[in-house]
Amino acid sequence: MGRKIIITEYLEMDIDEGQWHCSTCGKMLIEAETNYKKGCLVNSRDPREIHNPVFEAEYNFAPDPDWVRIIEFYCPECGTQIETEYLPLGHPITHDIEIDVSSLKARLDSGELAIVDKRLEVQS
Amino acid sequence: MAIPTADEKLAMIKVEPADDDELRCVDSLKPGDYEVGFERTNNILDEAMEIFVRSSRSMMGIAGDSMVALFTAKGDLANASCGTYLHAIIQPILIKFILNSYQENPGIKEGDIWFTNDALYGGIHNPDEVVLMPVFYQGELIAWTGAAVHTTETGASEPGGMPINATSRFMEGLNCPPTKIGENYVIREDFVETMSAFGIRAPQMLVIDLKARATSAHRSLKRIIELAEERGRDYVVGLFRKMLIVAEEGARKRISSWPDGKYTCVNFGDGVGFEVGLVRNSHMTLEKKDDSITLDFSGTSPENPYSYNAHVQAAVGHVANYVYEYVFHDLPISSATFSPIDFIFPPGSCLNPDARAATSCSVMIATGIMSGVHNVFGKMMFSTNNMWRQSCASQGNAGNAMVVAGLSQWNLPFADMLAYSLNSEGQGGRPEMDGVNAFGFPWCVYGRTPDIEEMENDLPLFIPLSNHWKDSCGHGKYRGGVGTVQIWVTHHVPYVFFMAISDNSKMQTPQPLFGGYAPCTVPGLSISNADLMEQMKEGNGLSLELFPMLKDKSIGGEWQNEFFGRATRPVNQNDVITFGFATGGAGYGDPLEREPELVIQDIKDQIISDWSAQNVYKAQYDPETLRLDPEGTEAARQEERQNRIQQAKPYDEFEQDWLKEKMDESLLAFYGTWPDAEVVAPPFRP
Repeated sequence: MGRKIIITEYLEMDIDEGQWHCSTCGKMLIEAETNYKKGCLVNSRDPREIHNPVFEAEYNFAPDPDWVRIIEFYCPECGTQIETEYLPLGHPITHDIEIDVSSLKARLDSGELAIVDKRLEVQS
Repeated sequence: MAIPTADEKLAMIKVEPADDDELRCVDSLKPGDYEVGFERTNNILDEAMEIFVRSSRSMMGIAGDSMVALFTAKGDLANASCGTYLHAIIQPILIKFILNSYQENPGIKEGDIWFTNDALYGGIHNPDEVVLMPVFYQGELIAWTGAAVHTTETGASEPGGMPINATSRFMEGLNCPPTKIGENYVIREDFVETMSAFGIRAPQMLVIDLKARATSAHRSLKRIIELAEERGRDYVVGLFRKMLIVAEEGARKRISSWPDGKYTCVNFGDGVGFEVGLVRNSHMTLEKKDDSITLDFSGTSPENPYSYNAHVQAAVGHVANYVYEYVFHDLPISSATFSPIDFIFPPGSCLNPDARAATSCSVMIATGIMSGVHNVFGKMMFSTNNMWRQSCASQGNAGNAMVVAGLSQWNLPFADMLAYSLNSEGQGGRPEMDGVNAFGFPWCVYGRTPDIEEMENDLPLFIPLSNHWKDSCGHGKYRGGVGTVQIWVTHHVPYVFFMAISDNSKMQTPQPLFGGYAPCTVPGLSISNADLMEQMKEGNGLSLELFPMLKDKSIGGEWQNEFFGRATRPVNQNDVITFGFATGGAGYGDPLEREPELVIQDIKDQIISDWSAQNVYKAQYDPETLRLDPEGTEAARQEERQNRIQQAKPYDEFEQDWLKEKMDESLLAFYGTWPDAEVVAPPFRP
């Protein structure tokens, strides 16, 4: 096990192994240079399952399922919902985090940055 | 100088290099001079802002959707008081345009009063009007002061200053490039009359707001001259330049502490003007390297034929809101904090449209930017000890702007955008706590929500309901704050005109953060031939609780159910003009991780419904006593996690099926090519 950094609420990156991990259960997801979503299980949800329509009408309090779905990304081991994205039907999934891993590793190795409580801190 | 190009405007946001004299003045500052002087400017600006709010006439001015600011002689923003951060970006462009264009004719002189509201020259949109004044000391230009506020009437094709039927700038009413409107500290009467003429719908509002700007800019000017008399010219020049230096150094130091990389967020709108249709209103990629950032908006939908377009500096202004609020909140409100940030706006996109484009609803198309910027910065900063707590989910950012116009109960013509439903949106969920309920106005975090009595006294309205809007928050481990709901009834007058400017009725613009959910959608609801007033007169116990009222239609009459953005129409006395909704903030984190006790408390506080507690949070409790069943809740949540795993697919398998789906083609008229949102054909504007 190498040095781990918290990247999101539910994701850690092992900077030495070069891997994404679920921070809830520790499951190794995929290589750090890859879109972490590719290491997740993915589901498409009808927005009316999450947003209570309250009343029947064309316009209510739930997004229109003919327009949009909630794309949910889960840890395949523990089922934690790592990320969500509201996308129009068929719209490509976003590669939202592309950390320059080699730059980060070099800055850590040079002592410019340190990992304190699993987070980055500048060393003055 | 011709109309500045997009590139020229972006360049004018950047700080002008310090010259030898400025650096000499900085060096002459003694220990403590900067700290004391910085606080002195804060006090000067706060005084001017107080005068501004008290002097303004429009609802937005009274609510504080404004900024007073101090600039160097070269036009760079040194410090400001808010109000709204939007204007931090635009005013340096306007001053630099004046400096570059009008030194000789008409000249820049002591006592000048300059005015503009034209987004083509550097504004946000034409309701945002700006007064700028040069500060001369012993005959030398040493600084500028400015005052900007949103006045909700421009003499456009519809009342309220943000026409949704405008198809070019020629339908937007007053668009005044930077113009000298006063000399020797006096506003020219011919220009006051011009404002009155463009403000026929509400002349007192345009004229009084104009004078409020000039009064506030002048107060700052007077105090800066006093400061120069007290401490010397070099002190003022050195202090202002030092504020720029401190702001830029602070910004670069902070940026350099974050991990290099690219961070992307994609946001959508569901309508432009009064037409329903999908737009990708922001495709934002933040690239961070060393101490610099580039924000690239390639992939944002093309410009559209309505007023939902934003010139580049207006788009940058919507980044500024977040950056000044969350990222550089402890640095001077200075344009120098933007020195490390570059922007790419593809020509022909809705964020870099043609000069003829209508842009009066720039603030609506820019909701995508305001939302996406939370996600890209949040995902960049969460790994750092200095900034992870600032990784906040987006506010509602719906900006449900509603306009009423006509003749008031005081027999005065009026046309005003009501601040309540703008200024009471919910904040996004945060890493350690929920978003604040009804926190404020995403465009203007310091703006206040007006009192109901104030609204009813000023305008021909009766407002029988004003409450938190249950379930309007995005759910999550830390939910967004809820927004509000009001009912507006035409009162005291035979009719009013009404229009609404917004979207978020088919799908919402904000993306949630780290596994939360977005806020709910917003229907356009009104009731003609309503019996609400009769029922209240009879005192028959009519309940105004929102959900039962909507389910049971307990107010009699003809209910309309529409897209929230609605073109101008008359509404008769006693009819329900609209339900005024202010949206909730986006959610943060997996809702199954929310403390069950907080779910119960939210039910008690009428923040969420039983439906949400049971369906989203999987809370188990006695619905009568609200006694929590902790073990049952944990078991239900564990079962839900297993359901997720069973129902979901591996990424590649999911993507293969997902990409085969597509929305109805008729809904993609404003989107551009699918899915890349490239320009299909530029809008035709005669």
